Amino acid sequence: MGRTLRGWLAMTVAFGVVLEVMLVGAIVWWPNFRENMGSVRLLAKPLPMLADMVDQIESLGVDAYVVGQHFFKGCNTLGAAAAVLFAAGAVAGEAHRGTLEIWLARPVTRLRLALERWLAGQAALWVPIVLTTATTPLLLRHVDESMELGPLLLCAVQQCLFLGAWYSVTFALSCAGSQPARIALGMLFFSIFEFAIYLVKTLTDWSLFRMTDIQTLAKVLRNGHLDPAMWVPLAAVNLVAFVVGYRLLARRTP
Amino acid sequence: MPTSPAPSTTPPPAAAPGTISARGVTRRFGDHQALHPLDLEVSPGVTGLLGPNGSGKSTFMRCLVGLVRPDAGEVTIDGVPLAGDGVAVRRRVTYAPGELALYGELTGEQHLGFLVRGRDRGALGRARAVAQELGLPLTRRVRGYSHGMKRQLLFAAAMGPEVPVRILDEPTEGLDPTKRAAVLEILGRDAAAGRTILLSSHHLGEVDAACERIAFLDAGRLVALEESAAVHERMARLVRVWWDGGLPARAVKLLDGLDGAQARQEDEHLAVTLPSGDPRGFLAALAAAELPAPSAVEHGRISLNVLYREIYGVEGV
Repeated sequence: MGRTLRGWLAMTVAFGVVLEVMLVGAIVWWPNFRENMGSVRLLAKPLPMLADMVDQIESLGVDAYVVGQHFFKGCNTLGAAAAVLFAAGAVAGEAHRGTLEIWLARPVTRLRLALERWLAGQAALWVPIVLTTATTPLLLRHVDESMELGPLLLCAVQQCLFLGAWYSVTFALSCAGSQPARIALGMLFFSIFEFAIYLVKTLTDWSLFRMTDIQTLAKVLRNGHLDPAMWVPLAAVNLVAFVVGYRLLARRTP
Repeated sequence: MPTSPAPSTTPPPAAAPGTISARGVTRRFGDHQALHPLDLEVSPGVTGLLGPNGSGKSTFMRCLVGLVRPDAGEVTIDGVPLAGDGVAVRRRVTYAPGELALYGELTGEQHLGFLVRGRDRGALGRARAVAQELGLPLTRRVRGYSHGMKRQLLFAAAMGPEVPVRILDEPTEGLDPTKRAAVLEILGRDAAAGRTILLSSHHLGEVDAACERIAFLDAGRLVALEESAAVHERMARLVRVWWDGGLPARAVKLLDGLDGAQARQEDEHLAVTLPSGDPRGFLAALAAAELPAPSAVEHGRISLNVLYREIYGVEGV
């Protein structure tokens, strides 16, 4: 098994396990949450955005709770960090270690090298998110609830495109840089900033996390299809960032 | 004195298989002109690329395999022009870099597998055989390897694939004399099979014995390209003599012209250029001269900087 493949596999498994543990915890906690919704609303009152989320869960029930817990909270917080960490070292890590030369010196095209790294990172995000999402209907049976798998997987696709864009932008930066820690820190600060403005009622519409919040994903569940106004730009960012990253790698000197 | 050939403008003649052809290759890094227009044609056999640190050897080699894009000039290897990301050329060349950064978490065996990815099916087996011939512990993790072992691992990986050309950046750097001899022997066998091997070094005497031709670089320019035998013949005509307490005052006057020798003071010793590679006549004359007995006499051995100064007239190497 290749060095890179083994590394990505380890990251994929780790990300998936943590995500699943968080999902199990959230679903097991659902009956308690439902019973104590009033108290939760009181606690959330000082933060209007949180209070809105509680209201949405109260009106939409377990559907909103699951997308809120699994996608908005679990995937976004953990996934944004994972995406940044996966991508930051993709090429910059080789330069930082000094192994860029032996990586590039083999008779493998740079397009293929870039594509392999990018796809491996995308897979490390997509596979855990899709697989953990697929376990949701099974887990919900234990708390006497149900959700359809199809719409849930559509939410997972939107979530993956969103985190994939995060990953792809970081990947492009990694193709140009030699300091993976700086790239990761920069992107993590950006993620925190975006999350912070999401929680400010007057600024929330400017936050990128609006694309995967309860309101947006509940719409996907309700409509049974992805909104092109959401997924097309996300897919475009993924693609453009990859192309930019590849072109930077193609010009790269060890 | 051999001089650097001027960049050519005429189209190159049809090259023999395995030939490395560089014409007018230039490369600049910021304000630093790493390579001036450089022409070099390397035919099958072992060719040494010698030059001090910073002379452009590694940059030139990286340009040849497409790791560094030349600003100008043309590179052709085994008849294939360097174009795009250079992958077509790299399919015909193996390259062992001078830098020793490796993946420490891999075992030697796994690392060989990584390095020969994209090569022919038998490449890993042959690389493994070379590594075993050199006594490398392939089951150990590379992070536990010494400097010399890492160098040998890169060498073994470069020797595995069936390609017409091998480009090796300082393959003997950091090796003990036994391993160095083993590496040169393997290279000799490989060249005897008709391959083209271009290897670099900044130590004359380290690799020149294995080379049929030697290209000398300085400050990004080709100073000379000579048959190795001719370089050795020049080296054999050089004698240096030391005395305890410094050069005797009359030494140059007494020894210059003696038996056809040209003598001159160099730092604290006497440098003599003989008319031939046989030093016996000069040594007899030296013994007979009215001078104190020398403390040391050196013949046929010369450092790269002295060679550059003595033979090619390049100072400060």
